[in-house]
Amino acid sequence: MEALANLGIDWKLLTAQAVNFLILLFVLRRFAYRPMLDFLEQRSDRIEQGLKDAEAAQVKLAQMEEREKATLAAARSEARSIVEAAEASAKKRDAERLIETEAATKRFTEEARVKIEEEKQKALTEAKQEIAQVVTASVEKILKETVDAAKDQDIIKKSLH
Amino acid sequence: MEISIAAEKLFSIGSFPVTNAFLIGFLVSVSLMLVSVFVSRRLTLVPRGVQNVLELIFEGLLGFIDSVLEDKQQSRKFFPLITTIFLFVLLSNWVGLLPGAGTVGLAHMQEGHATIVPFLRSTSADLNFTIALSLIAVFVIQFSGIAALGIIKYGQKFFVSPFHKPYGLGTIMGLLELVSEFAKLLSFSFRLFGNVFAGEILLVVMLHLVPYFIPLPFLFLEVFVGFIQAAVFAMLTLVFLKMAMTEAAH
Repeated sequence: MEALANLGIDWKLLTAQAVNFLILLFVLRRFAYRPMLDFLEQRSDRIEQGLKDAEAAQVKLAQMEEREKATLAAARSEARSIVEAAEASAKKRDAERLIETEAATKRFTEEARVKIEEEKQKALTEAKQEIAQVVTASVEKILKETVDAAKDQDIIKKSLH
Repeated sequence: MEISIAAEKLFSIGSFPVTNAFLIGFLVSVSLMLVSVFVSRRLTLVPRGVQNVLELIFEGLLGFIDSVLEDKQQSRKFFPLITTIFLFVLLSNWVGLLPGAGTVGLAHMQEGHATIVPFLRSTSADLNFTIALSLIAVFVIQFSGIAALGIIKYGQKFFVSPFHKPYGLGTIMGLLELVSEFAKLLSFSFRLFGNVFAGEILLVVMLHLVPYFIPLPFLFLEVFVGFIQAAVFAMLTLVFLKMAMTEAAH
């Protein structure tokens, strides 16, 4: 006991130091360690979640890009096929119209020619009749003075044959 | 110059003697509580100021404890004890290095000549504290061992039947283990006390011999020693805990 006292060991102080340390331990555990550790855990969870989210977003972005590319390609090929189809149909229509026009022109020309022919024939016949009449009349006029009835008869007969 | 192995009494509250070491211990714990509570009250997701420092310490310690115990649940369970030992011992070691330690104090007449009772004395330079802390550490170690293994399995570490494989040798080793459990108490308390007390004496002596510049390297050395001793106390407690909770390998 003498040796302990020489080293300054005093059970009152020893107990007080122990109690002091235990109080510190419990206060820190309650008010510092637990909130701090919870907080650190929360944050590391959050960071992990954030990283996972970022990765997922990246994957999604890549997928979207892929899809966009595919959609664009599809749209482009569709547009091309539409244009091609339109061109083809336009060409076809042009050709049809050309044929139609040609046919119509031919028909008109034909009709016109026929009509002209008819007119010509008609005019010819009319002219013939008129000339005959005029000739007959003028002949009559001339002959009436120089030709008698007998001669008249003869001429009629001749002209009739 | 007066060198006293015992912490000096400053005043008494009733029959309780308040020594300088006890006063410093008390002040260190109060400031530690205040800082910790203050910081943990206003934790921000993006750390700032003191929070950075505490987070660094806490995360480092938690990682270290985890690497020894290899169990997340147990790490969290023993984290408070290990961290408190480390922080408290570290701070009380360093307080003894502040200017005025051992030199500023109450004038005191002793055996006819005047001496000084310093206000500042590291808590770790007082056997009352180191023994108290060792008792707590050893008690927690034994208790955790019993709680983890059960009293019978835990007892089998120390009391080995002489009729099994190593025949007698195991029994002797077991008894040695038992002795070493008690030796832990002594080694824990005297290692810390010896290092810190010797450091303080060294600094005071150096200051008296050469007041300027020469004590500086020793001051740095003592800062380092203060950190090392705090780390050693905390780590040994941790390692002994792990050993106590592991089944004997025979």
